[in-house]
Amino acid sequence: MPPGSRKALKLDNTWVLVINANDRLFAVSGLCSHQAKPLLNGRVRNCRITCPVHGARFDLATGEALDLPATKPIPTYEVRVVDDWIEVSLGT
Amino acid sequence: MGKQVSNAAQALAPGEARCPDEPSTQDIIARDKVAAPAWVCSESYQYLGDHDVSVDRYIDPEFAKKEFENLWTRTWQFACREEHIPEVGDYYVYDIGRRSFIVTRVAENEIRAYYNACLHRSTKLRASGTDGSTQEFKCPFHGWSWNLDGSINEIVCDWDFQHVERDKFSLPETRVETLGGFVFINMDMDALPLADYLGAEFMAHIKAWKLEDRYIHSHVMKTLPANWKLSMEAFMEAYHVINTHPQVAVSNADANSQYDTYGEHVNRFISTLGVLSPHLKGQYSEQDVLDQFTIGDSSVLGGSERKLAAGETARQRMADMMREMFEQGTNTDLSGVSDSELLDCFSYTLFPNTFLFAGISLPMVYRFLPHPEDHRKTLFELFFLRPVPVDGNRPEPAEPVRLADDQSFTEAEGVDPGFGEIMDQDTENLLLQQQGCEATAKPGITLGSYQEIRVRHFEQAVSRYAEGR
Ligand code: FES
Ligand SMILES: [Fe+2]
Repeated sequence: MPPGSRKALKLDNTWVLVINANDRLFAVSGLCSHQAKPLLNGRVRNCRITCPVHGARFDLATGEALDLPATKPIPTYEVRVVDDWIEVSLGT
Repeated sequence: MGKQVSNAAQALAPGEARCPDEPSTQDIIARDKVAAPAWVCSESYQYLGDHDVSVDRYIDPEFAKKEFENLWTRTWQFACREEHIPEVGDYYVYDIGRRSFIVTRVAENEIRAYYNACLHRSTKLRASGTDGSTQEFKCPFHGWSWNLDGSINEIVCDWDFQHVERDKFSLPETRVETLGGFVFINMDMDALPLADYLGAEFMAHIKAWKLEDRYIHSHVMKTLPANWKLSMEAFMEAYHVINTHPQVAVSNADANSQYDTYGEHVNRFISTLGVLSPHLKGQYSEQDVLDQFTIGDSSVLGGSERKLAAGETARQRMADMMREMFEQGTNTDLSGVSDSELLDCFSYTLFPNTFLFAGISLPMVYRFLPHPEDHRKTLFELFFLRPVPVDGNRPEPAEPVRLADDQSFTEAEGVDPGFGEIMDQDTENLLLQQQGCEATAKPGITLGSYQEIRVRHFEQAVSRYAEGR
């Protein structure tokens, strides 16, 4: 996954979005906390993602909701690179 | 001696007196090694009277209401930079008072601005203070949506809205124009084109600056404790430097700065740096001037050698150092740039609320927005614009850093500590001035004929617009 790329995947029934932003990997929920719309096509700038549907923004590192209409954070997941593989942990 | 000077000054027509026995700004610049361009080497001062300016404009909520009705609705305002919305579908929300606009790129070379409110039950389509990218503007409430071009896309359960004519349900727009990488909007659909509003002379200046080739390197927001006009006027003259910023005066020709007005909406000062203040004449050597020189982006100056040779001026050394350091620090070619542009402070006001600084060392833009609910508060934004690197890769515009009311500008990332201190000193005056305007027995403020011409020029435009003229 080169810088600027992203992938949405379903792990154990959870939509996860993996993003390489500014050469740093993030894994967050694939769905917005506002109306559960996909975040996949949201613009990423300065390590924040904007929901393309209603414009709520989230911090990719913490999941914090930065603007209305979202008020709740999105889950974030641990992500690491092992050899050529990117691994995401959904935690427990 | 002092008395003779004032007698001599009285012999001149009003507004013609200048700081006595000192070189003018143009004299100082004319001695530079690398000559300045035409936009620097011209003067455009005009005497505009000497009556007091009434204080009610700063303290009366009714006056603020008139401004929202008559001034902000009819003037060109900097809404965002083009680099905020580089791709089709990118948008940026700009608010003025309680009005809010979605500024969006609808095609590669077309930007539009829509009133940010749903045409169903008026919910804001995008939250204030946000930006992003979208294919359509969809309302979060019942899901009505509009295409990028403003035409209506979806009316949910349209069988229930047979009375709605789709072609009358496009999002209302403002005028939009771009200049120097800035996106300007005007709510008045009959307003003069931006170029006419700003005037031919200023248009020649801004075209020379190539501000479209810069990007937002940092962006700081803070609420200031005074009316937006008082807040702006704190930055319109160098007259306060000797008292408010004594640390700057050692290397700033403050009392002999130059003031100009252009038409009704633009004014400027040129304040030369690397030169001792006339107030401090005889108290410091050229070496002292060089040693105390700190400004804007001085972080790039590093720990360079600072001993002057015999006969060498602090100003020339500073210009040489700036040229070298900025070329390295910002990876840009400055060989064609004059000493004055590298060093000096060129502060322009574009009516109503934007300051542009044209030089290299002080690459700022200020925006002042009246607080929507409180005429005693101003939302202040500071942008540092840096040249796009030589490799042509335009960095993402910086995310704004929001300072709390009691935080120092020196705490903001991307702000040089010396510059932050200057901003703090300016801010410290503001609450006292706001309160003084409310406390005073004197109904107006008194202005210097020359050094405070920008304040008078600005307030004349405020009066005209607020009264609906
Ligand atoms: S208020 Fe916007 S869809 Fe109802
Ligand atoms: Fe100041």
